[in-house]
Amino acid sequence: MEKFIEIFAQLNAYDIIQVVLWGLAGAMSFYFSIGNARVWTSISLGFFLIFLSQAYSINPWVHYYKLSAFHYIIGTVAIMVITHGFLEYYVFCRTFEISGKKVVVYMTTLLILAISGIFLLINPTPSPNTIRNIKMVENAIWVFLSVMNIELIRKIYVAIKDSTISRGFIAFGIVFFCIFLWKGSELYLQIFQWDMDWQYIIAMMTDEVSDIDKYPARVQFSQMISQYAGLVTSVSVGGTFFYMYRLLK
Amino acid sequence: MFLLPKGNPLFENLAAGKLKLPEVMSKLSTGGFTGYASFIFQASTTILVFETGKLVSVLYEETNGNRETGFDAMSILVELMVTSASGTLNVYKLSKDLTMCIHALLQGEILYKAQELKLIDIKTLLDKIKSDQMNGCLRIYTSEHSAMIFYKDGNPLGFFHDGSHDIETSSSESQKIAGLPGAKIDLFSTQGVEELMGIDLLEVINIQKIWDAACAVHQSEINKTSKDREEREKKAVQLQLGELEEQLKVIVTEYLGKIGRGIVEKELTEQGNSAGLQNDAGSVKFLTSIERSAKLLIGATNIKAMMERLSAVITAAKSDI
Repeated sequence: MEKFIEIFAQLNAYDIIQVVLWGLAGAMSFYFSIGNARVWTSISLGFFLIFLSQAYSINPWVHYYKLSAFHYIIGTVAIMVITHGFLEYYVFCRTFEISGKKVVVYMTTLLILAISGIFLLINPTPSPNTIRNIKMVENAIWVFLSVMNIELIRKIYVAIKDSTISRGFIAFGIVFFCIFLWKGSELYLQIFQWDMDWQYIIAMMTDEVSDIDKYPARVQFSQMISQYAGLVTSVSVGGTFFYMYRLLK
Repeated sequence: MFLLPKGNPLFENLAAGKLKLPEVMSKLSTGGFTGYASFIFQASTTILVFETGKLVSVLYEETNGNRETGFDAMSILVELMVTSASGTLNVYKLSKDLTMCIHALLQGEILYKAQELKLIDIKTLLDKIKSDQMNGCLRIYTSEHSAMIFYKDGNPLGFFHDGSHDIETSSSESQKIAGLPGAKIDLFSTQGVEELMGIDLLEVINIQKIWDAACAVHQSEINKTSKDREEREKKAVQLQLGELEEQLKVIVTEYLGKIGRGIVEKELTEQGNSAGLQNDAGSVKFLTSIERSAKLLIGATNIKAMMERLSAVITAAKSDI
């Protein structure tokens, strides 16, 4: 409890707001998946997993490196599940084929997370540098798959633009644009070693020096984009699912 | 067709459509039948004259007066029996002499045809018949009445006139018609019974073959008609199914947008096209699939409304087809 209070005291308002907003978005997306078509299950579950990946900010055991690494793995699984959902929706638009069961989606996702957990357990405790690498891989996957999802959503929208739900896909397009900015700016900072992890942990532990002082404007701008795009993304995800819920009511 | 004396009726009003001509011919032939068989159809009559089981003449006559004899007459009779369900068969036994006279009437040599009686010295004609020992038939008639006198070796065998069923011995009716204004005569002669016995059309005409050929042609026509009808019905059903498919597409497109057409097409293809909707299992499967796809595109309220309309259209189409 003391640990939790200590961590909670270290949290800034931004972190708390972001986690709360992601919590609302996760709840909304999870609620949306109940009673809807199976294809929505992948998309909703993926967005719900983002909440779990973001919850590391308030996780009292986050100082355990393996748990910290698991948060980032959940984030990676989240975007993969979301992409799988949109890919299935796109396949449906082209072939009108729907297959599979909801329970398979839930169980497969759980299985992947379990295997990832086992992978972390049977391997040595990751160093801060390793955790940063995992985080960078997660961001890279998010950026790549966001661009891919934007293209998939564009194609889905073209196929169903005269149906009721088409405007919902415009909202999803906005969501992925926000995600692209959010994760892209983080990746940008990581690639040039301008991220907080590097500055506060790696740089202190090694002799390596970054050139952060030469580009303060770029760093500040990227940090601002990362911070606000993260907030806007969580709001847009919650809003999009609420909007979709109303469209499909 | 002339009215003929009925003599001794063996069969009357047998349904010709249920009989097989080769079998009828065989029975009459092997039974040594003497007399005539008449096949009466709606627009024609065919008379077959037998002498001791030998078919001596066949005459086919339509109500408009068209006549055929021999092979042609037999072929037409076979065709009528195979194709028509309304004809009747009457078989009358007559004496050999009278049968000979009937043959003369039907297919004998025509000595006088539609000769006005007032222009003929009837007494001289009757004397000539007697003196020539003629076999045949003298027909006296007006537009409304008719009488026949049958002769053998120049002597009258008997008299037959409208309204009677059999040969009479009195000549009073014949004389009465002869006295009417506009009366005419036909005189037909034939060979004697012995000469007639030399003729047997059954030896010349292969009735079984004609019958089999007619049956085969008739069967092929029935098959063709049946096939044509089936094709027409099939086309009509296909047309209705095509209309149903279009109706389904319009309804689904109305709710789901243009993607609806593709969804309907795909689901119908999986059902084996719109024909698959004709059975309950197929239509239920189709509706379930459409509903599942619709869940990805529209809300529950709209899905319910769409499904109700689709069910109504399919039910209506099922009752029509």
